[in-house]
Amino acid sequence: MAGGERPVRPGREDRDDSRDRADDRHLDPLVMQVSDTVEEVFARLDPLRATTEKLLTAPTGSADLDRLRPDVVATLGGLVVGAGFIAATGALTDAELGFEWWTTTPDGPPTQLFISLDPASEYFLDYTRQSWFTVPRDTGRRHVTGPYVDYLCTDEYTLTFSVPVRRGGVFAGVVGADVFVREFERLLMPGLRTLINRVGGRAALVNAQGRVIASSSVRQATGSLVREPDIPGWWSSGAPGGSAPARALRRCGDAPMALLLTSR
Amino acid sequence: MAGLMSHGARSALFAPLDQTGRAEAVTRRLVDAISLGLLTEAEQLPSESELAGRFGVSTVTVREALVALRQLGLVETRRGRGGGSFVRAPRAASTAASAWTRRLRAVSLSELRDLGDHYAAVAGAAARLAAERSSAEDLARLELACRDIRGAEGPALSRAERVFHLELAAAAQSPRLTHQELALQAEQGGLLWLPLYEPRAASGPASASPSGDGGGDPREAAGPGDAHAAHRDIARAVADGDGDAARAHTEEHILAAVDRLAELHLSLLDP
Repeated sequence: MAGGERPVRPGREDRDDSRDRADDRHLDPLVMQVSDTVEEVFARLDPLRATTEKLLTAPTGSADLDRLRPDVVATLGGLVVGAGFIAATGALTDAELGFEWWTTTPDGPPTQLFISLDPASEYFLDYTRQSWFTVPRDTGRRHVTGPYVDYLCTDEYTLTFSVPVRRGGVFAGVVGADVFVREFERLLMPGLRTLINRVGGRAALVNAQGRVIASSSVRQATGSLVREPDIPGWWSSGAPGGSAPARALRRCGDAPMALLLTSR
Repeated sequence: MAGLMSHGARSALFAPLDQTGRAEAVTRRLVDAISLGLLTEAEQLPSESELAGRFGVSTVTVREALVALRQLGLVETRRGRGGGSFVRAPRAASTAASAWTRRLRAVSLSELRDLGDHYAAVAGAAARLAAERSSAEDLARLELACRDIRGAEGPALSRAERVFHLELAAAAQSPRLTHQELALQAEQGGLLWLPLYEPRAASGPASASPSGDGGGDPREAAGPGDAHAAHRDIARAVADGDGDAARAHTEEHILAAVDRLAELHLSLLDP
């Protein structure tokens, strides 16, 4: 609750360089933790991506995707609650669309995800519109989608990590991993608490759109958008370190996430 | 626990299919052919292997589809010499074309009203929050979903309605509201977003419906165009960050759908 936030150093309201540097020093461990966590999830996808690209060197039908299963299942674990390969349109010989996706279950073995892939079906949902698919396709780079409500798979508030898969240099789909936002928050909350106990104010981890992933305050709820400062604008200008439009705004390594520190 | 609940909601929406949904596609193709009269009463269907060849699927898939058709009472399979699968057309008309008619006849007005109230509460709240929380990305997806409904009819129209409201709930950043949205879409066999626009022409007595439901006349001319206009209004209010307008447009849109259902329900009860 808001009452739980005790600015330990209330006198430090004015902006000055020494304070900024002090804030920075306190932000460092959390920035690093976020970056490491994100890299760990992406690292889990490496073997699956390699296997998938190898499989795709030969003509691949939807039934052949079964062969990815061991690597898909091996990707699960840690923060990762769902993983798999999602084919691009035309990547498979016998079907427009296709995927091999598995999710963890609370007390049992992983289960395979089935959704309608028939565009004529009343229940068809077009995955080629999802950001975890479109961004790697359009930019050729890995991406973290979310937080968002993943109604295709987990039905939960989710972060989806996705990496493009190529065949002969051409986009052939993505491998991806789902992480529950609540687990991500659980992991980062101690660091967020430590930070604000030291420097006061309010701290939040936001994505490139300014959407709150985890925050030290219920007043800045997960899922809400930070309007001030303009995070998307800051991000598109290259997320500069020096002239952050807030008390502190730091990109977390190569992750598309930033740590925002505000006075109130 | 959340996992179990979400699974329930999802399984209602996503019928579990074979790995590519082909059995469903084959089933639907044959149901359509039978209900449209392209395959007539007592006509023998091609053999399993021939069907498999024509549809480009395995015989296992065809067999699965035939089981479904038998369960629907649309096909009868006789064994032995001169055996095979035969169309049972009289049952076909009442099964395929009128499944929703039976559902709509069975439902009561008070149930419809309650469904509408619940749906309006959930979707209206989702729309208000979506106006507050939508990022540029959410808006782009909402806009795509909005475009889907233009010129859509039949199942595509139902799907466009479902997807639009699903996107709206997702844009609200609320898993709970999204679960509710999915559950409500599945409730009453998905009654709310039945593509009822065309069949209205066949229901002459509807205009003489009792005035008890207090519905106005705007739905008299209701068609997919109105659904598109409604979605556009909602999407625009969300984009403008106008939560009150987003909520109001959404509630109106849903209550109009319920009104249409209520009118059709009453017309079905007329002798």
